[in-house]
Amino acid sequence: MRWATIRVLWAHELRMLVRDRRTVVVAIVLPLVMMPLMLYATREMNERRRKGLEETLYRYAVTGTEAAGVRALVAGGLEAVAAADAADPAIATLRKFRCEEIRVDDPAAALAAKEVQFYLEGLSGAEADTLPPEKEAAKDEEDAAAEAGPEAAPKRESVLVDPVRLPGVPIVRIVFQGDRDSSSAGRRSMRDLLAEARRAGRDAMLRERGLGADPAAVFKVGESSLASAAQVTGSYIGRFLTLFLMMFMLTGGSVVAMDIIAGEKERGSLETLLTTAAGRGEIVTAKQLAILTVGAVITVIQVANILVYVTFKVIPLPENFVLEAPPKTVVTLLLLFLPVAAFVACVLLMISAYAKTYKEAQLYFFPVYLVSLVPPLVAVLPGVSLRSIIALVPLANVSVAVREIMVGRFDWPMIGVVFVAMVAASAWTVRQSARMLSNERLITSGGADAADLAGGPALFPRHVLAWYGIMGAVLFAVALNVPQLATFRRQLLFNELAIFTLFPLLMIGRYRLNIREALALRPVHPLAWLAILLIIPSAGLVGTGVFRLANLVIPVPREMLEQFSRELLPKGMPIWELGLFLSVLPAICEEIAFRGTLLHGLRGRFRPAVLAIVVGLIFGLFHVALFRIIPTAFLGVVLTTVALLTGSIYPCMLAHAGNNAFALWLGMSGRNTGAMAWWVYAVAALVLAGGFYLLYRVRTPYPGLRRNASRQP
Amino acid sequence: MNDTVVVRGLTKTFYDEGRGEVHAVQGIDFECRAGEVFGLLGANGAGKTTTLRMLSTVLAPTAGTATILGRDVATDAIGVRSRMGFYSASTALYPRLTARETIEFFARINQYPADKVRERVEFLIERFGIAKYADARVDKLSSGMKQKVSIARTVAHDPPVLIFDEPSVGLDVLNALEMHEVVREFRQQGKTIIFSTHIMSEAEKLCDRIAIIHGGRILACDTLDRLREATATRYLEDIFVHYVRGRG
Repeated sequence: MRWATIRVLWAHELRMLVRDRRTVVVAIVLPLVMMPLMLYATREMNERRRKGLEETLYRYAVTGTEAAGVRALVAGGLEAVAAADAADPAIATLRKFRCEEIRVDDPAAALAAKEVQFYLEGLSGAEADTLPPEKEAAKDEEDAAAEAGPEAAPKRESVLVDPVRLPGVPIVRIVFQGDRDSSSAGRRSMRDLLAEARRAGRDAMLRERGLGADPAAVFKVGESSLASAAQVTGSYIGRFLTLFLMMFMLTGGSVVAMDIIAGEKERGSLETLLTTAAGRGEIVTAKQLAILTVGAVITVIQVANILVYVTFKVIPLPENFVLEAPPKTVVTLLLLFLPVAAFVACVLLMISAYAKTYKEAQLYFFPVYLVSLVPPLVAVLPGVSLRSIIALVPLANVSVAVREIMVGRFDWPMIGVVFVAMVAASAWTVRQSARMLSNERLITSGGADAADLAGGPALFPRHVLAWYGIMGAVLFAVALNVPQLATFRRQLLFNELAIFTLFPLLMIGRYRLNIREALALRPVHPLAWLAILLIIPSAGLVGTGVFRLANLVIPVPREMLEQFSRELLPKGMPIWELGLFLSVLPAICEEIAFRGTLLHGLRGRFRPAVLAIVVGLIFGLFHVALFRIIPTAFLGVVLTTVALLTGSIYPCMLAHAGNNAFALWLGMSGRNTGAMAWWVYAVAALVLAGGFYLLYRVRTPYPGLRRNASRQP
Repeated sequence: MNDTVVVRGLTKTFYDEGRGEVHAVQGIDFECRAGEVFGLLGANGAGKTTTLRMLSTVLAPTAGTATILGRDVATDAIGVRSRMGFYSASTALYPRLTARETIEFFARINQYPADKVRERVEFLIERFGIAKYADARVDKLSSGMKQKVSIARTVAHDPPVLIFDEPSVGLDVLNALEMHEVVREFRQQGKTIIFSTHIMSEAEKLCDRIAIIHGGRILACDTLDRLREATATRYLEDIFVHYVRGRG
């Protein structure tokens, strides 16, 4: 590694960036100018709205058989508020509430004509008893509408102040227009005022019945925090510090990263650079340093920007905000953030190296950005301790360590573990990104080639992942948005037939694939069936062991598992139907989709071992629930390996059906495989290995698998 | 043994997702000498660019060896590249650098002695007649000007071996003639030049020896006169057709 060469390349990258005026303006100048303007405008608008609502004289009407009682309640509420302790913020707010009753013949028409902001309807207990029972959800809906503000869809709604009503109790109904800001605000204040009137009335009744003391002073609640203000602030900031750093580094670094290889490929200058005497490692290092530099500079600018807003109070700080950063904290944080920054730079570089064009790199950036922000969110979860397996999970470990450090807890051995794990992860990504510049397919520009021109089966391998992306999107969109399919039978039938069967058939038709090849409809050696019988129970048990292992890293709440079991095994369904829906249908349809067209499409893209993992992972991802991904991906790897060794889908169908039937039998018979001794899993693993050994001995390999030749650049 | 470039059994096999294994170059042999223009003549897809990309170390050979001034492309890639200049229609320039900065950058990155870089840059600016626009950004230059800057950056570090991959593609007649002139000048300076083309007249005019490449194999490799003798034809086009059809 020649540092003089790296310096020349690094300076060259920065010079290229600085000369790109549009990028500099969009990435640095615009945020600097726009952020304070936006913050100021938002603050100003909120302030004006708040003042406007505060100064509004709310006009309302009263109607109903109990109108007189309602008027008395409002008057009582106003008196109670006037007499209450003004130090209470809720009372202080209510004191600013100015309202005036106006007499109208038709309150609903007056509300529609905006003559009143709301009206009160007093119903006697007898009248209220004849009303249909109010739904509990009504209150939630009304609150949600109020939260959504005036932009929410117009909705006229009336609700009870208190949803729990005993028979004979009268109702005061506030009728308002939820799509009007002033109507919603007036309704909220009136609701609080009536609640205050109710409280005052209740207290008066208690006193009348002989309660000597103030009802509110039966006992007093006091509180005192052992944490200092600095620790509380540190705890708040520490939870989000890594996340924000990642966000700044990713967005800042992306300014230069998207162009740094993808842009060069598009312009043709990458090949020029690769034919110079600069080594691949030197080029990668210089590019990583350039991303790191730009990311760090933009992060510093953004942080300085925020500090300026805080200083000028454009961004208000919470009360008791005390940020302490002694040198020990700062140095430790810097040490932990350094490998994080290197990791981010490498991830960005890999996106750029993988994409053929600048536009393609931008397309990849957004999902990678979102996924990268998930691990640092672990620090926000309660109960995640640094003294756990989390210390070995890159990014998540730093976020938890930072949270601990920010409250002054320095667990040095674990901080050391986190540092080593993060450095190892960063070193791995550095190595991976360096290797990408040796990948011939990635470094040479590929325009339209023979496959593009030939179309049909030659083009299918290039499009297969996009098809499965669409399948996944349809599956999720339908599950979330079509309530008619939200039953056990309908959902399963839709997924298995419309997604896992129809889509592969569409692919076969669209790309004119040979159906026998695409679905691997081939005979196998008779002994392969015996191997499958060994694999079925052993894979099921080993899969449970894998799930238990995964549970050590990401614990799955017991309630979630129980709920899943309840939903998966509906009560009262006959055994044959359960078998059909949970064993036979998935075995046929999912194998068509995953060991059929997906494996056929990807067979030339990866080497067999990677292929089994990729197909297994995609199979796992289609099983929707996050906690199921690892065990289902394991099953997916097992089934794909079976397909690779037998070259046929039929043994996979039997293994899949057997596995699901085995799990179903265990579930129905109440056996808990998740609590077995570890040696059981070890024995199962041996049997599984034996099954695969037998399969290997009688193998009829999947045709067309990738061998060692380099890929077409 | 004054062979500067020696290629033995060079092979490149790709794996294409749609087509399976593709044998782009199938065990070719040739050698080039100092002060010689060695032509690689072949139709599109014959394997010329893949061969030159292996010589320039962009692609790794699947089998065989290639050495440039005794440096193996597989084991001493940096050594090879520092002794070689690679020019092709697909090797573009940096649009936001000036012509002067471009030449300087490539001289530095190719290990030209740091204290002589400025002198070398000024010499090349003078030699290629780009003084008038030396400080203009490359993206503002015409294609003829860009071609001159491209050649200047190729020889910025004064390499003994030059590879020109279809250099006339996209050039007008005058610029193509200027390119030929530059190639002849480099030959006179004693540099080894590997020149790939599919234009017969270009190969006829420039190349001391010609290798006819087709389907990833070299079908013939000799001087133009000897190829004429061997095929009993006059024009290179006929010679080319003779070998390619004879193969087919």
